[in-house]
Amino acid sequence: MLMTRTEIIEKLKDIIISADSRTAERADSVTEDTNIMQDLGFTSIGMLYIAIAIEEVFSIRFDNVGISDFVTVRNIVDYIEGKLQ
Amino acid sequence: MSEEIKPVKNYIFYDFVRITASPGLLVVRPKLVYESEKAKEKLRGGVLLISNHAGFFDPVHLMLSIRYRRHHFVCIKDFFEGSKLKRWLFRQFHCIPIDRDNFSMGSLRRITDELKAGHLVCMFPEGHVNGGENIAPFKSGMILLSLQSSCPIVPVYIRPPKNILHRLIVAVGEPVDIKALYGARPSLAQIDEAAEMLREKEEKLQQIVTFAIKTKQSPEVL
Repeated sequence: MLMTRTEIIEKLKDIIISADSRTAERADSVTEDTNIMQDLGFTSIGMLYIAIAIEEVFSIRFDNVGISDFVTVRNIVDYIEGKLQ
Repeated sequence: MSEEIKPVKNYIFYDFVRITASPGLLVVRPKLVYESEKAKEKLRGGVLLISNHAGFFDPVHLMLSIRYRRHHFVCIKDFFEGSKLKRWLFRQFHCIPIDRDNFSMGSLRRITDELKAGHLVCMFPEGHVNGGENIAPFKSGMILLSLQSSCPIVPVYIRPPKNILHRLIVAVGEPVDIKALYGARPSLAQIDEAAEMLREKEEKLQQIVTFAIKTKQSPEVL
């Protein structure tokens, strides 16, 4: 299933909001440069939560990557895009 | 990509050590107390066993407490580093390495695969050895592991002996079904709440042990 980067970001926003409703306001301003931990306040558990949700929503399977390797939204979108191709 | 330490496929060395060490270890076997009648039931299938971390020998204490199961301990990857013998031993004992600074999806997969295969996985959610009386806040990663594997969490409290003349006492709690309590996809706030609920359960087990000692009630032995 091919998706545009914009579509991937929109789905990511939904995941971010469902993970923590407190980030709902900030989720609107999410761009590819947004730092997930620093700008959205997610901890490592939050990152793991997002990774699990990404696998379910995009039907992909992460390789043996460290979750802290994904610093910005761009890193995640690049990875998802690579997996969907 | 993180380096993957592959699991050993058999239990030959693990069972050899367990069987040969059993007679000697019976001398230091713990006294067991239970939260309820339900907690007395034997643990079957995939179970995530969590415990306070009072000392370096806690893994041995857990193995002696639940003697009828093989244990798979989650431990920091540093334990696998150093000599080849050390790495070999930790692999033979089916320990699951995790990187605390950068948790990998491979570790998540390994733990949930073990649980889904019906194995007993043990972890210390305090994240470090805590010799104090108070139980430290629990890391909430165990909740995600339980949800991903659909396996219950069983809290256990270890009270180390004060000296060589005292016996170790271990309290076993009832299994907690996280999915039944919070649903398949709880929010992060609910996950933190579940971790705190389990820490409170651990405190309750601590009180049960203290009560058993004060009243000189003979704890039940498995």
